[in-house]
Amino acid sequence: MRDVYSFTRYLLIPSMMFLGACCCEKEIAVAPEAVPPPAPSPVAAAVVPVLGDLFFDFDKSALRVDASEQLKANAEWLKANSKSRVVIEGHCDERGTNEYNLALGERRAVNAREYLIKLGVDPSRLKTVSFGEERPFAAGHDEEAWSQNRRDHFVAE
Amino acid sequence: MPAARLALSAVIVFFSLIISAPRSLVAADSGEYIAIRKQGSGRIALVLDRAQTDGRQEAGWAESINSVVHDGLDFTGFFTLIPPPLNVRQNPAGKGQSVNFAALNSIGAEIYAGGKVAATGANITFTAEVYEALGAKPILRKSYTGTPGEIRSIAHQFCADLVELLTGKKSLFGSKIVFVSNKSGFKEIYQCDFDGAGLEQLTSSKSITLTPVLSPDGRHLAYTDFSSGRPALYIRDLSTKKTLTAAKSGVSIDPGWRNNSEVATTLSHDGDQNIYLLNTAGAVLRRLTNSKSIDLSPTFSPDGGKMAFVSSRNGMPQIFIQNMQSGEAKRLTFSGRYNTQPSWSPAGDKIAYTTWENKGEIDIFVVNADGSALKQLTAKSGENEAPSWSPDGEMIVFSSTRHGRKKLYVMNASGENQRPLLHIDGDQMQPSWSLFTK
Repeated sequence: MRDVYSFTRYLLIPSMMFLGACCCEKEIAVAPEAVPPPAPSPVAAAVVPVLGDLFFDFDKSALRVDASEQLKANAEWLKANSKSRVVIEGHCDERGTNEYNLALGERRAVNAREYLIKLGVDPSRLKTVSFGEERPFAAGHDEEAWSQNRRDHFVAE
Repeated sequence: MPAARLALSAVIVFFSLIISAPRSLVAADSGEYIAIRKQGSGRIALVLDRAQTDGRQEAGWAESINSVVHDGLDFTGFFTLIPPPLNVRQNPAGKGQSVNFAALNSIGAEIYAGGKVAATGANITFTAEVYEALGAKPILRKSYTGTPGEIRSIAHQFCADLVELLTGKKSLFGSKIVFVSNKSGFKEIYQCDFDGAGLEQLTSSKSITLTPVLSPDGRHLAYTDFSSGRPALYIRDLSTKKTLTAAKSGVSIDPGWRNNSEVATTLSHDGDQNIYLLNTAGAVLRRLTNSKSIDLSPTFSPDGGKMAFVSSRNGMPQIFIQNMQSGEAKRLTFSGRYNTQPSWSPAGDKIAYTTWENKGEIDIFVVNADGSALKQLTAKSGENEAPSWSPDGEMIVFSSTRHGRKKLYVMNASGENQRPLLHIDGDQMQPSWSLFTK
């Protein structure tokens, strides 16, 4: 039961994120004077849909089995697109304190980077950054939102 | 004849000694009031009388000064402010007006504060007069001058002198609080006076700025800024308005000043998240911690000899104290699974921090620097975070979600009298109280 749930989430979230990112850009293009939404990443770059997000357990930066599977798929894409460079963003859910989450988010990003290097991706193509709990993907205040916010997100430079 | 002369000069010397010795009188009196406060009887009963004036304009100034002094003294929590009795001054029509100490004593006043306000050219001069009510003894007489636009400052200078006289300690008047607010749609740094007045926006990054902290002398502001796309340490010289950034790769998290020229922060350019000491030019002086875990949030003892910080070296984050000379670190917190955000008290004896409780609440605790006398200051009121001590060590500013959104609150260091600091839009967080009082 639990497996089915996480499997569907696993499929859904990357596509949701892609849509979400597109919406934000549209809003800005149409109404540049409007109060800016807090969302857009300072690294102005395209989200590559095939580079799926990874998700983490609460207060952990270790890669789960599903995360390493996703990283294998991401590594394949990076090898096939050898000119691309990516920034791996580490994120946390809103619980805990902001300062500690900034550190935790970086460890999530760094662990993914190290795994990609092990899989043969050139280290010079992989940057990391942490947003801690500053840029949540899901707005809720429950485990459903938190589980989506404890993530690594890939942005092509 | 010479003998009589000698006696006369001895008498003159004696009296001039008494007259020229108001300082020792003051010291004796302040000692008395420190003693009263130490007995734990709490507040000093003070009658604040509006300063005497001649003209209508002066009366308006006196009213304003009275109001600022009243709110300022009330904010400290040291006083019970008693309204002056109607007959506080004798012979109200005549010239030889004087304070009616019998009336003050009958209402239980310990201290009477009044004075005169007069125009001196374009300036205002407030001459404060403070008496100990029981003995009708003058304990403070001092003039404060400034422009009509400086009434807040004039009144607070008097408050500072009065509080220092009565408590024997530096006051919080003139201190500033820096904090983060998202009221513009972005997290930016703002500053306000100790009492929430005088709001000023310090950054316009249109990015994310976090964890501001002023150097002890108030010359530099250190903070974390995402403008470059990653969280980096920024140091702003507030006199020249020049801002520079520490040019190390990786992240920078949560700076803390060791003294006016040294600031510590977490950097991750070597792979692990360790705490480094930097100068105000952003150059690394040395690495302070060396662990494979997360080390962050440095805060220093007043002499700079010890650093409290957060480390996940034992698993969940806990607070440790490291000796700056030997480098030896000892765990401080053993109660609570997740302890972060330490703040070392200006007196040096205590450390405030937050515990993330199992129910999801975050609460503020205080513990002695040796690990004894643990005390919980907030309870059952949402997330209470980021405690920071006032420069006199008597109060703590913090953020809380007790009324919904995250806002700033202050409380006595004992946890009593928790109240909102300021009312502005958006969320407010990560307050840091200056050590200076100007």
